Amino acid sequence: MIRFLLKRLALTIPTFLALMFITFVMIRLVPGDPVEARRGERGISPERHAELLHEMGLDQPIWKQFLDYAGGILQGDFGTSIVSKTPVLHEFLTLFPATLELTLCAMLFASLLGIPAGVLAAARRGGIYDQTLMGVALTGYSMPIFWWGLILILVMSNTLGLTPVSGRVDLIKYYYQPVTGFALIDSLLSGQKGAFGDALHHLILPSIVLGTVPLAVIARMTRSAMLEVLEEDYVRTARAKGLSARRVIGLHALRNALIPVITSIGLQVGTLLAGAVLTETIFSWPGVGKWLIESIGRRDYPALQGGIMLIAACVIIVNLGVDLLYGLINPRIRHGK
Amino acid sequence: MKTRNLLRIALLASSMLAATAAANAKSLVYCSEGSPENFSPSMNTTGTSLDAARPVYNKLVQFAPGTTEPKPALAESYEISDGGKTITFKLRKGVKFHSGVNGFTPSRDFNADDVIWSFDRMWKADHPYAKVSGGSYDYFNDMGMPDLLDSITKTDDLTVVMKLKEPNAPIIANLAMDFATIHSAEYADFLMKKGTPEQFDQIPVGTGSFSFVDYQKDAVIRFKAFDGWAGKPKVDDLIFAITPDPTARYAKLKANECQVMIAPNPADLEAMGKDADINLMSQAGLNIGYLSMNVQKPPFDKLEVREAIALAIDRDAILKEVYQGAGQKAKNPIPPTMWSYDEATVDWEYNPEKAKELLKKAGVENLQTDLWWMPVQRPYNPNAKRMAEMMQADLAKVGITATLVSYEWGEYRKRLQAGEHQLGLLGWTGDNGDPDNFFFLAGCDKEGKPAAQNLSKLCVQEFNDNMMKARSLTDTAERTKIYQAMQKIHHDNVMWLNIAHSTVFEPTRKSVSGYKISPFGAHEFQDVDVAE
Repeated sequence: MIRFLLKRLALTIPTFLALMFITFVMIRLVPGDPVEARRGERGISPERHAELLHEMGLDQPIWKQFLDYAGGILQGDFGTSIVSKTPVLHEFLTLFPATLELTLCAMLFASLLGIPAGVLAAARRGGIYDQTLMGVALTGYSMPIFWWGLILILVMSNTLGLTPVSGRVDLIKYYYQPVTGFALIDSLLSGQKGAFGDALHHLILPSIVLGTVPLAVIARMTRSAMLEVLEEDYVRTARAKGLSARRVIGLHALRNALIPVITSIGLQVGTLLAGAVLTETIFSWPGVGKWLIESIGRRDYPALQGGIMLIAACVIIVNLGVDLLYGLINPRIRHGK
Repeated sequence: MKTRNLLRIALLASSMLAATAAANAKSLVYCSEGSPENFSPSMNTTGTSLDAARPVYNKLVQFAPGTTEPKPALAESYEISDGGKTITFKLRKGVKFHSGVNGFTPSRDFNADDVIWSFDRMWKADHPYAKVSGGSYDYFNDMGMPDLLDSITKTDDLTVVMKLKEPNAPIIANLAMDFATIHSAEYADFLMKKGTPEQFDQIPVGTGSFSFVDYQKDAVIRFKAFDGWAGKPKVDDLIFAITPDPTARYAKLKANECQVMIAPNPADLEAMGKDADINLMSQAGLNIGYLSMNVQKPPFDKLEVREAIALAIDRDAILKEVYQGAGQKAKNPIPPTMWSYDEATVDWEYNPEKAKELLKKAGVENLQTDLWWMPVQRPYNPNAKRMAEMMQADLAKVGITATLVSYEWGEYRKRLQAGEHQLGLLGWTGDNGDPDNFFFLAGCDKEGKPAAQNLSKLCVQEFNDNMMKARSLTDTAERTKIYQAMQKIHHDNVMWLNIAHSTVFEPTRKSVSGYKISPFGAHEFQDVDVAE
């Protein structure tokens, strides 16, 4: 197991280096620069423009800039945001818990509904339930996130008044300092009556919106994996032995069918960590997705570069975690044996 | 164990008390659009950042809410002497700085040292805070302050003398801009001694109506009312709920999660106007959208060609289609709400036939040109692409083939300012209500070279001379005459084609009173109240 872990970690080094180089070059290929991005219609003289680029070190040859940056990374320094003048790592760590909390809640929502729905659809293959469910899943998969979020806000918040529109906390009723950055935990730590419920309430709509596409993917993936497994000889044997359908499906088939489902969940978590930008924007969720998009607009090279590297690290960790999970579910692929 | 339990109970009780107090306080939630870069207005150029710092600070002079009129603020009076080259500020006595923010307790009231400290930071490279947080003071430089200032000294604790190298009439309006915010020199020293000078720009201490409480990036900024020299604000807590999406802001306003919101989506205006709970305020914007014609690219150096373009474009149709009627056709480069506006200017009519004649007279046939449009929505131009398409169709009617061009926003401005275009759309929103703040856009330097912001790259000597002369005068009547003459020169030379001044909209809940739209797009809450 340790050998497997070390091997996988060693493989991440060239991945990181390649990612660092590609993003470094690509970011600088985007038209514009941080000085220009800050200016309005007033304009800037070429001399002043050059002076400000020099102050930021952006007039250096790109290879030198890259070496300086890589040297910093090796010492754990992800640079300082050009816009806020705060260390990139600090900004990332401030915003990442919000993204992680939303991602986990969305995946919880998607998994708790998606897996049973997929299993049921497979168990009743071709029936009305199966067809309806797969139709709904296809709709969910094709749903434009922005539109879906706004529709939910209009119906659930503005019309029915059931959920708050956006944000993480009722700003008038509650005020607590972030300790962990996770609203659910911080609200509990605050000791304020009703704060936890309020935080949970604020998570409902964004979790549904962010979890909709993964829900559709998980349901479809579970169904197809279950259908494949249900055709296997050992399932037929289990049935022949007289085991109940619930036992055959729940114990024998599902466990094996879960392998591709978990892979899919792992990949989805990775995608959501970096790609929750639309949900974060609609629901004013202070996460890293929105931060990265704003950094592109402001040409905040260090924030953008550092943010991408740190998210990539999280995705790699999640994928490693998924690989390790395989072993728990199916002992035949337990690593190091 | 007992002590720990007691501590827990005390913590719980204080939290509950805080929560109860919060529930009883009168709060105003403002749905802003983004996070500030920092809380030092001297370093910022974006409205989002300036709005976020404004509750905390004051300036020597400030614009009266909802107007372009500078009024004494931290300076209770000022006197201009020496032919406009000396300004003596008499400072307000007994002005307190916020206490208890970031562990700082001021030991003295505001005085001349704070004024000198604040300007020196932007002006002098050897100032201990000059390079803190990057040290880029764009507005101070852009307003030409380093070239203009000769000295800033104090004669006593409550008197500051600002000497200029030459008379400059707009200086008072310039000093009412946010870059001229007055900071606490004592707070700066306190942080320097603590070894955390960068906190100066992140945790602000000022004399403003609200003191800073907390900022959570991309989520919320909290302020509490401060009973200072201007009196206690009407609300206890001012909360900026950072809400980047305009539709979500509107949904929050409808749900009473915020009571004032910035920048409504144009598509929502009609519904907002009909909403019984919302007061849709509007005001003529202090802005201009225009089409520049680059005289460095023939045949736009010919006056007849520029006139032909002005006659060929149907601006009434643009106003209806692009501005949806929420604007006013522009005939001068300054908006009609600004003093010195010349009503007598005869606007260009829409006359394609006359345009064709002028082109023929200029010997221009089958003209091929580019036409640049901005890739972003701006207050002065809500849909530049559509505007360019309409202009393209109008120009085709007089035999001009225009190819539409656009770039990423930063790149667009850079190339436009470098003069790469032939025809280009841009505009301007005023900073300080002084006409000079609009006319400088068509200005040139002393050597007769067009400035970066002069997109037509046209230098008209008479226009420039007048602009310089108006700056040196302090008499408003005299300046008005000059500016009116400049409007005529601008029109007769078609220095650019004025398109429109847009209307600015700001929705608030009907429970909000005392809110005024700022001509500069600022959001101020000193006099705002909210019914419970």
